[in-house]
Amino acid sequence: MNRRFVLALLVASSIPVVAGLPQIAVAGEVAVPTADQLLSYVDKNMTFATRTATIKMTVVSPQRTRTFVMQTFGRGETESAIEYLDPARDKGTKMLRRGDEMWMWLPSVESVQKISGHMLRQGMMGSDLSYEDMMGAAQLRDKYTAKVTGAETKNGVLCWRVEMIAKDATVAYPKRISWIDQKTHIPISQELYAVSGMLLKVWDMSDIRTYDGGRQFPAKMVIIDKLKQGTSTTIEMTSITFGVALEEETFSQRWLERH
Amino acid sequence: MLLLRLAMRNVRRNVHRTVLTAGTVLFGTALLTVALAWLTGVFGTLTNTMASFGGHARVMTTAFAAREELMPLSEHLQHADDLAAAAMKLPGVRAAYPRIVTGVTLTKGDEIGDQFGLAVGAPIGWYTDQLHLGKDIVLGTMFTGADGETVLGRTVAEAIHAQVGDTIIALGMTQDGAMAPVKAKVVGIASGGNQLVDNGIFLPLEPLRWMADVDDGATELLIYGDDKTQGKTLAAELRADPAFSNDVVQAWDEQPSTAGIVAMIGVVNSIISSIIVFVCALGVWNTMMMSVMERTREIGVMRAMGLTRPGTVVLFVVEGLFIAAIGGAVGVALGCIPAYALQVYGVNLGDKMAHSAGVPVQSHVYALLTVGVVTEAFLLGLCTALVGTAFPAWRAASIQPVDAMRSR
Repeated sequence: MNRRFVLALLVASSIPVVAGLPQIAVAGEVAVPTADQLLSYVDKNMTFATRTATIKMTVVSPQRTRTFVMQTFGRGETESAIEYLDPARDKGTKMLRRGDEMWMWLPSVESVQKISGHMLRQGMMGSDLSYEDMMGAAQLRDKYTAKVTGAETKNGVLCWRVEMIAKDATVAYPKRISWIDQKTHIPISQELYAVSGMLLKVWDMSDIRTYDGGRQFPAKMVIIDKLKQGTSTTIEMTSITFGVALEEETFSQRWLERH
Repeated sequence: MLLLRLAMRNVRRNVHRTVLTAGTVLFGTALLTVALAWLTGVFGTLTNTMASFGGHARVMTTAFAAREELMPLSEHLQHADDLAAAAMKLPGVRAAYPRIVTGVTLTKGDEIGDQFGLAVGAPIGWYTDQLHLGKDIVLGTMFTGADGETVLGRTVAEAIHAQVGDTIIALGMTQDGAMAPVKAKVVGIASGGNQLVDNGIFLPLEPLRWMADVDDGATELLIYGDDKTQGKTLAAELRADPAFSNDVVQAWDEQPSTAGIVAMIGVVNSIISSIIVFVCALGVWNTMMMSVMERTREIGVMRAMGLTRPGTVVLFVVEGLFIAAIGGAVGVALGCIPAYALQVYGVNLGDKMAHSAGVPVQSHVYALLTVGVVTEAFLLGLCTALVGTAFPAWRAASIQPVDAMRSR
């Protein structure tokens, strides 16, 4: 009896210990990571201290296809700057974002215009990406509460399916469903929803490359704004460097007006 | 002839009643003259403004017409200058102008403000010859033809505190939805006393073409004949021309924004005229009914002597028409006095009322006294008599000679 009692006591006393462990279960042969772990992996790949990139953006609409080339600079989550290099019509246009504020240098009128509020969520250069999409690099873990809802193959890649609900109503996309590559931890496909549940955008990432420090980053992204008809935007990273030293002036209004 | 003489005799027999009936018609026709002149003036100005601004006929793409309230720049007319040239070859077409109308945010400083407005981009000729913007300039000048000029409506200029000589930035969109700014110097401020001018941001066509990134395109092509009555004819000609076979062509009064107003004008005219005619007819009915009741015995005698029922009706109707003709003529003459005064001096409704009307009503409105107005008022005065005498005449015709002679 005493042995049975001791065994029962051991089993009972071990339950809180097991319950207190991270939610690691087994799906097939692969351990399911917690949502928090997955988001921290994604954030580690997708956010950065500093970054410069040359980007080619192709915007397809039912009427025509336009290609933009731009140089981008990013520092942390809230500071970024873009300078358009091509086409000639937009060459010299600069955008600067600091926190919730954004300014544009418009060479055609030689003027800096401050952009705020709802305009940040408009399509940048008529693309499927908003200014906020393009110029923000916020950590998902800070913004969303997530749960892993299973393992699925998406775009031919084995992924974790993660549903995210925004912690704060001010977030541009109150709900996200992401398919996170089990190997690279890149969200190779994301569905971005409005608070009403309407699907706003589908954002696919591909051509995952490895950079210094083992960072994985997609060299190609395709974004489709579901509120538009027949449009898509493709972003290709022509070159990208992480951890680069950036001049303080890059994120100042002086940089905007320098030409 | 006998009936006519009898009717005349009856008119003279009870002068008080005749004067009372004629007075009712006089009041009615005078009121109709003023009301019709007023409505003709107000609605005429309104429709003229709409036809001047929107073209006697207008061409746009089918896709643009389907979503016109959104003004989709991507659905513009390509090669609009060529289309304008093709339109000018059609008989009856006096002018054709490509035009772009698009929403912009207007600012005088660095921050994009809250002042949204409709920017209009059109050839200078459209502003001078069709919109007659020159007469509405209250400060500065019209376009001089130099690059980078704009004329602002007074309301817009006040909202952004812009003055002549200031530089403003109109931030709009390209046809793809990318932000695109246009910088312009304010050369003039216009006040037309209506929303179309006072809320306008007027620019030459080329800067707005650059903003919209539409090369030689335009969102619409405005076609003008000699006057707005040619709208439907011009539209029919354009529809028959192969150059416009894939596009939507509308006469000015077929355009969604104006068709409802034109229909409403007809309804308002009819309702006001009907109310005046009805009220005055009641007065005529009253006096004519008194006449029938007083003359029951006489009618009975005449019926016994061979006056037929239709003859009885004609007798009273002719009497009523005769009185109405006299009352109507004097009424129209008297009504012309205030109508003319309204035509000359008008009434100032105030900018607030004009701008909140939802249609391009002028803040200072004038009556328009025309031969048509006078004729219509006089004929409606006769209608008053016809309506007012119809029942009494029928009542008189229904009197049986025996019953009539028995009555006291």
